[in-house]
Amino acid sequence: MLRVAIVGCGKIADLHAEQIQYIPGCQIVGVCDREELMAQQLAERLNVPAHFTEVQDLLDHAKPDVVHITTPPQTHHSIGKSCLEAGRHVYIEKPFTIDLEEAQELISMAEHKNLKLTVGHHYQFSHAARRMRELVVEGYLGGSPVHMDSYYGYDLGGGDYARALLGDRHHWVRMLPGGLLQNNISHGISKVAEFLKGDVPQVIAYGFTSPFLRNLGETEIIDELRVIMHDGTATAYFTFSSQMRPCLHQLRMYGPRNGLIVDERQQTVIKVKGAPYQSYLQQFVPPWVYAKQYIGNSLGNMRKFLKADFQADYGMKVLIQTFYRAITDGGSLPIPYEEILRTSRIMEEIFSQLRSSRPPPKSVLPPET
Amino acid sequence: MHENHRIIGPDDRILITGSNGFIGSRVVDTLLRSGFSNLRCFVRPSSNLTALQAVLAAAPGARVEVMPGNLLSREDCAKAAKDVAAIFHLAAGTTKNFAGSFLNCVVTTRNLMEAAAKFGCLQRFVHVSSFAVYSNWNIRRGGLLDETCELESRPVERAEAYAFAKLKQERLVVEYAEKHGIPYVILRPGAVYGPGVRDLTKRVGIDTFGVFFHLGGSNQIPLSYVDNCAEAIVLAGLKPEIDGEVFNIVDDDLPSSRKFLRKYKRHTKGFKSIYIPYWLFYGLCWLWEKYSKWSEGQFPPVFNRRRCAALWKGNRYSNQKLKDRVGWKPKFPFSEASRRYFEYLERTI
Repeated sequence: MLRVAIVGCGKIADLHAEQIQYIPGCQIVGVCDREELMAQQLAERLNVPAHFTEVQDLLDHAKPDVVHITTPPQTHHSIGKSCLEAGRHVYIEKPFTIDLEEAQELISMAEHKNLKLTVGHHYQFSHAARRMRELVVEGYLGGSPVHMDSYYGYDLGGGDYARALLGDRHHWVRMLPGGLLQNNISHGISKVAEFLKGDVPQVIAYGFTSPFLRNLGETEIIDELRVIMHDGTATAYFTFSSQMRPCLHQLRMYGPRNGLIVDERQQTVIKVKGAPYQSYLQQFVPPWVYAKQYIGNSLGNMRKFLKADFQADYGMKVLIQTFYRAITDGGSLPIPYEEILRTSRIMEEIFSQLRSSRPPPKSVLPPET
Repeated sequence: MHENHRIIGPDDRILITGSNGFIGSRVVDTLLRSGFSNLRCFVRPSSNLTALQAVLAAAPGARVEVMPGNLLSREDCAKAAKDVAAIFHLAAGTTKNFAGSFLNCVVTTRNLMEAAAKFGCLQRFVHVSSFAVYSNWNIRRGGLLDETCELESRPVERAEAYAFAKLKQERLVVEYAEKHGIPYVILRPGAVYGPGVRDLTKRVGIDTFGVFFHLGGSNQIPLSYVDNCAEAIVLAGLKPEIDGEVFNIVDDDLPSSRKFLRKYKRHTKGFKSIYIPYWLFYGLCWLWEKYSKWSEGQFPPVFNRRRCAALWKGNRYSNQKLKDRVGWKPKFPFSEASRRYFEYLERTI
């Protein structure tokens, strides 16, 4: 029986706990939060035998094998380090750490101590993402990706999180070096980081505060970001937008022969054939081919739903399961360390450029609405 | 209320949390109209203060301090609770997740009560709770639900974050009040309605996938018109010799769900509704519960038998205790209250 503990008892901890409960062969043995009431309520709701306010007490008394860290990102490094020092495997919610140095230190420590470490990029394990990976491995693209385009939309207009963030000048998200972006873009960046090669891709970033936020008097939060990346062979664009509709969570990837469009929200994978059709067939045939694929995706999703295999947080369950298997059976890690580091490196470069860039001249700012 | 029948004087400072909310702004209005002019209105920094500003504009001579802050900050709580004689605590978290709701109901209340205890001058902590804390699981259909009834013992099964948080919040109020010797009163309003709120209470039915399912049928709806509710809160909050008591707030002449829905439709754009009898919806909730468990949460258990009973089983409600002990009676009878409400709906929808 794998003994699991959760540090940080907020909303995200609930998602982790729900998934862990459905995984056979493991048990949540303790939860921890600096706010005792929060730890207490989670323990009570999930029938967890013990709750703590200090990580060290959790490690000493609950003796978990693996610790899930679901605290604000500023604390990921120190808590992760304590857990690794105590010989525990660690699952850290995204974003992995505040900066690359912290990420490197944690990974070195895990390797040195022969412990497992992962990050909560669970969209990498959705049905659509796994299907996409299968197609890439089968060679559908015709080689390595030539170009990728990752979209990550975020609806700032409503929701408790957005209200809390806008209303609180001292909100922990504002205190992150990369602000709102740091808490949100890692899902979208990791999608392309998986396929970029080398440690140091070239990055060009441009970010600004949307007219929507500026009209609310907000000037500090950057909620629109455009990034170009190049690893010497492949290129990638990344778009983070709070204003663009639809609110896309999408990856488009193009190889030397074919392309793929993966939509996380719709859970669809569409094959885009590279070879053109003859003459007017180019205008007549592809819409039918796409229609057939969309119908196939829809039927496939329904089949999974009927088999009760289509939960909203399915990707998280698969990620946790795969991570636990790596711990218990010595299987490979769900997310390679080089991918975690590449994601951290790209994010650090983006934030560095945004910090150092001067505000663009007014003429290039989008007009106030 | 005669001055001798109040626990504090008109110049004593009163803190109102959630003062910009639907009920909170009316509580501020009622306090001002009752002659209390030294108010501290605690608001979230991000709040749109329209409702509160409209109330304050009508009382230009009052010493009202609008204090933006966050009850999760102990520092803000200390500033808010400093030198106050009474606290009307209406702020609550309404997020749909358990952790968020708990944080914004329970942790905030703990911070506020600890801050108040330090100053030692608080004469009454008026806690505004909710009907959501009750369980009618063991009460037959049509049975009386009053202050003596049991509270929900299995809130997690009910899968209602708000009910869970309000229950824990109430328990914390009692615990901290006893620990720190803070006099308190708990008010549990029913379904509060009035100008400012457009949506029908869930006790009438639910709007889902563009269809309105009428689930209340002939049930009595525990309505409380917002001005009646605010007056009950203020009276009970300042009445002597009722420390530690709990009061339900519902109006007289409570309409049936069917009657209220009919009127609502007539005064809005109108919409189609489908009536589902209680026994049938209870059965569907049972199936939903089973499916949720079997499918490992593919549909979360938001429809379940305990929640179905709490909202749609149908009970009778009483405001007798409030009338007897506090001397409250609803200023606006249902005919007048509903006229004002539906006029508001006609204006705004």
